Amino acid sequence: MRRAWKIYRLLAAQNLKRLMEYKVDFLTGAVSFLIDQAVGIAFIFIIFTQIPQLSGFTFEQIVFIYGFSQIPKGIDHLLTDNLWCVGYFIVRQGGFDKYMTRPINPLFHVIAETFQVDAIGELVVGIALICYSAGSAGLYVTPLSVILTIVAVPFAALIYTSIKIATSAIAFWIKSSGFIIQMVYGMNEFAKYPTTIYSVPVRVFVTFMIPFALTGYYPVVYLLTGENPLLNTGIVVSVSIVFFILSLLIWNRGLSAYESAGA
Amino acid sequence: MIYAEHLRKEFKKVVKDPGLKGSFKSLFKPKKEIVVAADDVSFHVPKGEMLGFIGPNGAGKSTVIKMLTGILTPTSGQCRINGKNPQTDRKKYVREIGVVFGQRTQLWWDLPLRETYSVLKEIYEVDDDRFKKRMAFLNEVLDLEDFMSSPVRTLSLGQRMRADIAASMLHSPKVLFLDEPTIGLDVVVKDNIRKAIMKINKEEQTTVILTTHDISDIELLCDRIVMIDKGKNVYEGSLRQLKEKYGNIRELNFETAPGFSLTEDEFRSGLELGEDKMTVEKDKNIFKVRFDSTEMPVGEMLNYTLSHAKVKDISFKEADVEEIIRRLYKQGECENE
Repeated sequence: MRRAWKIYRLLAAQNLKRLMEYKVDFLTGAVSFLIDQAVGIAFIFIIFTQIPQLSGFTFEQIVFIYGFSQIPKGIDHLLTDNLWCVGYFIVRQGGFDKYMTRPINPLFHVIAETFQVDAIGELVVGIALICYSAGSAGLYVTPLSVILTIVAVPFAALIYTSIKIATSAIAFWIKSSGFIIQMVYGMNEFAKYPTTIYSVPVRVFVTFMIPFALTGYYPVVYLLTGENPLLNTGIVVSVSIVFFILSLLIWNRGLSAYESAGA
Repeated sequence: MIYAEHLRKEFKKVVKDPGLKGSFKSLFKPKKEIVVAADDVSFHVPKGEMLGFIGPNGAGKSTVIKMLTGILTPTSGQCRINGKNPQTDRKKYVREIGVVFGQRTQLWWDLPLRETYSVLKEIYEVDDDRFKKRMAFLNEVLDLEDFMSSPVRTLSLGQRMRADIAASMLHSPKVLFLDEPTIGLDVVVKDNIRKAIMKINKEEQTTVILTTHDISDIELLCDRIVMIDKGKNVYEGSLRQLKEKYGNIRELNFETAPGFSLTEDEFRSGLELGEDKMTVEKDKNIFKVRFDSTEMPVGEMLNYTLSHAKVKDISFKEADVEEIIRRLYKQGECENE
């Protein structure tokens, strides 16, 4: 474990040094990400000036869900961004050979190689929105509700990671799965709003099939309503563990299907 | 040390008709075909040996190397290296091997070369003392000092290859896999790299498996060769044996004097040697004759030539390995037909 942490720090540091090597590119990326986030926030503010209440939730409560949903997303984005590259080109171009010939777990190696600083934008925005709305959202604050919400955060992030692991691993069979990751990942839009606004089939889908609802709404519903504390957090924790195990099984089968490339 | 037993690797391939239309058609109705990249490949390499792994492009060399290094999982058959199975003991196994793919690099592309070694040091858990000694040794053999602080992307191909070999040797592997280590390099750099490989093999008894298209690599480095073609073992043995078996081919080159005319058939007509024993090529007034010296001794051939042609210049040459291998490939093709 200590060795893993050491290697993680080292590989992540290499990535940061690489960013510094191309300063202009790095700064452009950071600025464009900030603009992107600003547009996103402006968009929900505009929408909510027109719709004061949604499915029994007030504007502040919806902003709270939105803000919270950005945090697991940001954590996953910060830590595992390189999985996109596995889906888009690392497997297709045979670059995965490198990971197979090193004495560390290939999945860990891939993930450790990138520390995506862009994600700090999501985290900052998420925390800002939570701070902005927490006071007026009428939260049901008890030690238990706060602890359960915090406990749910890493598990919610793990749902993102599991979905990315599973969809990027598809590339081991079909060579390129970038657009599949993009399509499935894109459904995280559902996480930004209370799940109760969707029809039943959609609700089931985003809770159990592609469970992004578990990364936004479920972890905070207890804080918002004071109902079903253990059920809501329990679903998040257990579904997240199940999905993580499944994604590792898919990944490991993918490794033995890996075909490398040419030459 | 290294045992490969009946290795077989199949790939599924989607066959497409040409053009965009073909691509669309295959999108909806894919025709699948199984391609056998390696078929029943077996061989054995003792410790400390340098084995040349040769074969034409697409013969399956890289596929076999990738199975041996644990990158690919064989469809059937297995390999054992130092008693370990590369697929099931992957993490332990790769500590004992070094791998260089000439067409790819494992160096951190955007960072100074030095950084790559300090990361690999941690990945392979080389302690500080050992690391210092190791870097000194690799520096001496591969001459890395000049570009140690340059970003990898700025290195020349020759520098990069040296750096890559050093990266694969940092953890003192018992086996070194080199897939085309001299590809695209000039003669001087090739020579340096060969010397370095020889030195590493000699000083550390590192077993080396090397694939190459460069026959001089084989002649200078390898104790033994395994040749594969169309995924199958065609030949396994020492270079000397190969030469003894196939090396009785001689090459006669002569130039006829100006004004003297002689056709291939005219030259051939006085000799009773079939196509398989002798080939004649003519370019203007220069003849190149390859013949089997057990059928027709060199002296006789010389007498025959001098008495049948007005010769301006003449020379004999022993067949080089390249020629032998070319014949072996041809033989393989005939047997398949």
